[in-house]
Amino acid sequence: MYEAVHAYPDGSSTVARHARTAAEQGYDGIVVRTRDAVAVDPERAEPAATAEPNATSVTTLREEYDIDIVDAVEIDVETPASAGGSVGNYRPDRTVVCLVGGDDRLNRFAVEEPRVDVLARPMDGSGDFNHVLAKAARDNRVHVEFDLGPLLRATGGRRVRALSDLRKLHEILTYYDTPYVVSANPRTHLELRAPRDLVAAAAAAGFDPEWIRGGLNTWGNIVERNRERRSGSFIEPGVRRGRYETER
Amino acid sequence: MKHLPKHLRQRWRYLAVGIEAWPDTNISRRAFQRALWYAAGNLLGDAGSADVDLTLLGFTVENGRGEAIVRTRRGHVDAARAAIACVHAIDGDPVGIRVRGISGTVRACEERYMGGASPDPIQRDVAFAGAERSVVVRGDAHDIAIDSDHVGATAFDIE
Repeated sequence: MYEAVHAYPDGSSTVARHARTAAEQGYDGIVVRTRDAVAVDPERAEPAATAEPNATSVTTLREEYDIDIVDAVEIDVETPASAGGSVGNYRPDRTVVCLVGGDDRLNRFAVEEPRVDVLARPMDGSGDFNHVLAKAARDNRVHVEFDLGPLLRATGGRRVRALSDLRKLHEILTYYDTPYVVSANPRTHLELRAPRDLVAAAAAAGFDPEWIRGGLNTWGNIVERNRERRSGSFIEPGVRRGRYETER
Repeated sequence: MKHLPKHLRQRWRYLAVGIEAWPDTNISRRAFQRALWYAAGNLLGDAGSADVDLTLLGFTVENGRGEAIVRTRRGHVDAARAAIACVHAIDGDPVGIRVRGISGTVRACEERYMGGASPDPIQRDVAFAGAERSVVVRGDAHDIAIDSDHVGATAFDIE
């Protein structure tokens, strides 16, 4: 199971601290949503924890804490026009590309763009979700994020509204079999919750525990698929460079 | 009052809970108990809160790090876990919280999941993000004070 975190400077904990805490809690990996937290430099062999020249490489952190660390980016823009450019810029370098929704036009743009992996927080702010978006997301294999953050951290009316939005989103996603991911959007290591605790909280709020677990696992599937696509042996879906098949 | 025959007595489960916060946070036992009950009340309602109980039995927190034993009724462990996961702040200070394990007796709970004494905090000054900052070091964990806020880091992030 993976959790997608906001690391320093966007959140208040560094990638290493998130990795350390997530490993203790039993996650298989973390997806770092913050662009500046993991520096991906095409000239350097491997991504590092920050852009500093002597920064610890992600590989070292992976080995130290025995947890996968994934370089992702969360594109947060005002209009679909600028989102298009950002998606094109980041897609070649980053393993996972998320686009922050929360606005009807951005949600629409994200689900119709196959280069986007995850539409993050679609119900935030004025954003809404419907059957048209669900079908488009399914056809373009864009995962819709199911944000459990407000369940854990909001109170009162805000939490009630967020939960009723989640109910609606859950119904639409399951009806159309749209791919989805689940995350609690932690901004510090203190906001990280162990997978079991997260699933229990969602179950208490009325969501199927299996479905929530599936959403936490889906991050891993996205990462695996994209790593394979970005590896040298991949040419196009169904075509790969390698040894011929010896067995039929 | 005469106590109940054994088969009618309430069966309990004891949850070992790990608590973490920024080093300058003071968490009192009362405040933590209140936060637990509020979380249960808000998530599960009055009836659900009565089911999960969530009475605090053991509690040791120092310098924003510690552990606690929380009691719940047998058969309601998942709901208790859910309520505990929803504790996100105590008196406005953010806390990280995690259920380490569950036992049928307080003693087993203590022996199995508690008492991993965390190393004593050390105050130091380090370079981080281009300036000298005050940091509290506990093993590998570095909690850096920046202005009135904190950044969680590890030994790897210190220049």
